[in-house]
Amino acid sequence: MDSVFSQLCVLGSSLVLIFGLILLWRRGVTAYVTAFKWQSIVLSAVTGIVAYYGDDHELYWVAGALVVLKVLVIPRLLRRMQRRFAAERELEPYVNTATSLVIAGLLVLFGYAITRPLVALSQLPTRAGMPLAMGLVLVSLFVVISRKKALTQVVGFLMLENGIALLAVLGTYGIPLIVELGVFLDVLMGFLVMQIFIYQIHETFESIDVEQLNRLRH
Amino acid sequence: MIGYALEVAQAALALFLAPGVVGLVRWMKARLQNRRGAPVWQPYWELAKLFQKEVVVSNNASWLFRATPFVVFASAVTVTFFVPILAVPLPFDGVGDLLVVVYLLLLGTFFLSLAGLDPGSPFGGMGASREMTVAALAEPTLALAIFALALSAGSTNLGQIVARTMSDPGSALSPGHLLAFLALFIVTLAETGRLPIDNPATHLELTMIHEAMVLEYSGRYLALIEWAAAVKLLIFFSLLGNLFVPVGVSMALTPATLAIAVVSLLAKFVVLAAAVAILETRIAKLRLFRVPELLSVSFVLALLAVTSSFLLR
Amino acid sequence: MNTFILLLGPPLVGALMAAVVRPYRSIVGWTNALLSLVSLGAAVSLWRHILAGDVLTSGPREFLRADALSTLLALCVSAVGALAAWLGPGMGGDDGYDGAQARRFRIFGNLFTFTMLFAVTSNNVGFMWIAIEATTITSAMLIPLHVTKASVEASWKYILIGSIGIALAFAGTVLGYFDFVNLAGRQEDALNWTVLMAAAPHLHAPVIQLAFVFILIGYGTKAGLAPMHTWLPDAHSEAPAPLSAMMSGVLLAVALYAVIRWEAVANAAVGTGFTDGLFIVLGVLSIVIAAFSLVVQQNYKRMLAYSSIEHTGLMCVGLALGPLGTFAAMLHLLNHTVAKSMMFFLAGRVLHRYRTTEIGGVSGLLRTMPWTGGLFAAGMLAVVGLPPFGLFISEFALFRAGFAAGRPWLMGLVLALLPLAFVSMIGRLNRMLYGAPAAGIAVGEGSAWPLIPLGLCVTALVVLGLTLPAPLQTLLERIVEIAGR
Repeated sequence: MDSVFSQLCVLGSSLVLIFGLILLWRRGVTAYVTAFKWQSIVLSAVTGIVAYYGDDHELYWVAGALVVLKVLVIPRLLRRMQRRFAAERELEPYVNTATSLVIAGLLVLFGYAITRPLVALSQLPTRAGMPLAMGLVLVSLFVVISRKKALTQVVGFLMLENGIALLAVLGTYGIPLIVELGVFLDVLMGFLVMQIFIYQIHETFESIDVEQLNRLRH
Repeated sequence: MIGYALEVAQAALALFLAPGVVGLVRWMKARLQNRRGAPVWQPYWELAKLFQKEVVVSNNASWLFRATPFVVFASAVTVTFFVPILAVPLPFDGVGDLLVVVYLLLLGTFFLSLAGLDPGSPFGGMGASREMTVAALAEPTLALAIFALALSAGSTNLGQIVARTMSDPGSALSPGHLLAFLALFIVTLAETGRLPIDNPATHLELTMIHEAMVLEYSGRYLALIEWAAAVKLLIFFSLLGNLFVPVGVSMALTPATLAIAVVSLLAKFVVLAAAVAILETRIAKLRLFRVPELLSVSFVLALLAVTSSFLLR
Repeated sequence: MNTFILLLGPPLVGALMAAVVRPYRSIVGWTNALLSLVSLGAAVSLWRHILAGDVLTSGPREFLRADALSTLLALCVSAVGALAAWLGPGMGGDDGYDGAQARRFRIFGNLFTFTMLFAVTSNNVGFMWIAIEATTITSAMLIPLHVTKASVEASWKYILIGSIGIALAFAGTVLGYFDFVNLAGRQEDALNWTVLMAAAPHLHAPVIQLAFVFILIGYGTKAGLAPMHTWLPDAHSEAPAPLSAMMSGVLLAVALYAVIRWEAVANAAVGTGFTDGLFIVLGVLSIVIAAFSLVVQQNYKRMLAYSSIEHTGLMCVGLALGPLGTFAAMLHLLNHTVAKSMMFFLAGRVLHRYRTTEIGGVSGLLRTMPWTGGLFAAGMLAVVGLPPFGLFISEFALFRAGFAAGRPWLMGLVLALLPLAFVSMIGRLNRMLYGAPAAGIAVGEGSAWPLIPLGLCVTALVVLGLTLPAPLQTLLERIVEIAGR
């Protein structure tokens, strides 16, 4: 029983990480939004699986909130933005695609290295997926640093949050419910504010290329 | 003794079936495109025709040009001795493992690239450089993908990997295996020159890689190279089928199990050929500068597979 | 219980009032200003409780708690919040903001103050995280109060880098929780700082170390530590003056507060060597980058922002120098808050008169606005660490702690960098104070009453520079105990 649980969690975590890699491979924002949506679906599924096998009913609520927030609400808002800025594709990122992917692989290895004490310490059957969650965190950080479009950076940030949520679910079967709800609220608020700013950037600069944001130096 | 005979029989079977597999893929593609298409054994007629034709060699070509077809063919046939096609364990398992297989395949590619450069034609040089770009990313991925399996099996010996997976069927669904399968599938497409990396039916300068290297060949040399390419496709299909889904691979060397092995092998070929045909029909060829991106994705998948297997040992 | 309501309630009420009253009327601003004094009074009352020796807690599972560290920060936040309420837009008169902007400022400014107060009085590190994330959101809404290309750029960098930093801090919080859960199982109040501190000696070293690294990088981004500081000069210079004062004065301090909370846990778990090393690296890096950046500054608000980075770096280094160093760092935090917020308010007045943030565009300040210029000069002298102002005393205490802790080379390095900042800032001050004002700049103070609270700030700095009142000393000593020194 436990090993099926374990395998499912690792499978889910791998899928979550692979959806994160899509941000480095594809160029269109449509692909990014779809990848984020599917990543959130898999994340909710993993949360549901942990709730089922771990006998923790609070996690069902968390999974539900994840679905509502990150599968329904945020992708819808992202699609609206993407329809507005559809012409902007990530054509010349700071680091090119092939190199980015290799760096992502190395970052995942690094994630494995730093989570070794965690995996060694934990007794939970879900511990094998934690390095993958950490890998997603590092890869998302890399996405934000190396991409030029504001929308890509926002999706990268959202995936970073997904990675940390996955780490919390796998490591501790979730954090206390009230804190979790507060976190969701914060993420939603943060995303809404970012959305406002992207519209403002577009109005002021006629493009969402953050390379244009270079007036303030030194 | 029986083992050695079986090895030879296995290699002969591979040689015999290879053009059929290529024909099967072509036939399925044709059917998917609503054409009648050539029959499945058309490649056999083509090989027979080529063996009877005259060989024309460029004046600028050296000994390398004449030697390459034999090297390529020999390396492909040698690999069939080491790959678990019908049964494990086999006597040559002690000599050949994962790394030997990879290097033999690379030997063939290397000589083919040199032969592309040898006659001094522009198409050949272009094909050689493109092929090297693809091989530079595909070969490490191939090694890594199979290495992911080797980690859980505890040995890089291909026969042992198959035996291990057969004894522990649950591990076939582990993330390491699935990721390695994905990575290996993409490498198969790259190494055998299939869409979306290379179009095996084109001779347009813009799109050809493998065809560009063999453009100067004719007659029996071309026949040997085409046959070797078909054997390579069969080898990769065998790897994909037998390493990941070793259903039906014969452990004892009895006629009954061998018969089952042949039948299951054919079944796997049909499935894989269908997959390749469907993929080739649905996906357009990638622009050349996008090919390294796809191969990097497969490299990262293979890397993830290795780390997955390593952690879940 | 009442004290906490009196502390946290007024900003919420102020925000609500501003949201409800449309169009904006200055009565909202005046009510807000009076309410902010209630908050300040509550903070002082907390101080009295600390001096009497008891630590107030409140709420289910004691999620609100005000020990000495919380009290110091609550005092700073409520004081600067009061300053912002009194000197901010929407108090009537010509301050360069229209009704809509004033209303926006009152809503989000009050929410900003509330979230900062909640962050420092929260016992639950999860709630602390939520509050600090909320500070990013509420302050980001205010930066582009005047929509220009520069302010949009600044606010985008702020929200993106700030949110990412906070997310990393959340990862650190999760890791700390993971460590605790593996030790003691899941409990409802497992995220309470008091519970973590009790369990700290048994926590596992590698995990808590990894958690602290994430915490330091995450909250350090909000505190302005290098190399995560890139958003700070832009955000602090483009924001309107009252917001810059709050951000530079107290938001950096609140982020540092979060780091200190986790430092206490880490020190109890693995000893002080680990956190010391990290603090020194990041602190020195911040001081170096800030000092060298100050040399090329042409914009006086950016200059003040880089000075904030430098002082945060100093505080960070101080935290690594044992109990004496922590004492000095906390004293420095208090002094810096007073000085920097005052400076940003004064910069706001200068900007309103001269209409430019370029140092080259401002000259003859002593002639056009003698009192503002005088206070500006006093504040600048304070910020570079000259006597008789408080920052001189705290920096001196820091160096003494450094030499006592056996780190002479480190102190030498810092001592060599401070004059760099000193020379750059004083040079620019001179350019701004003297000379002939450009044509078209009106002479005279304009509305002079805001100078009274700012003058009080200078007085406070002088008092802190000449003496250390006993209640303050007790408060700081309690803080040193909390930080585990």
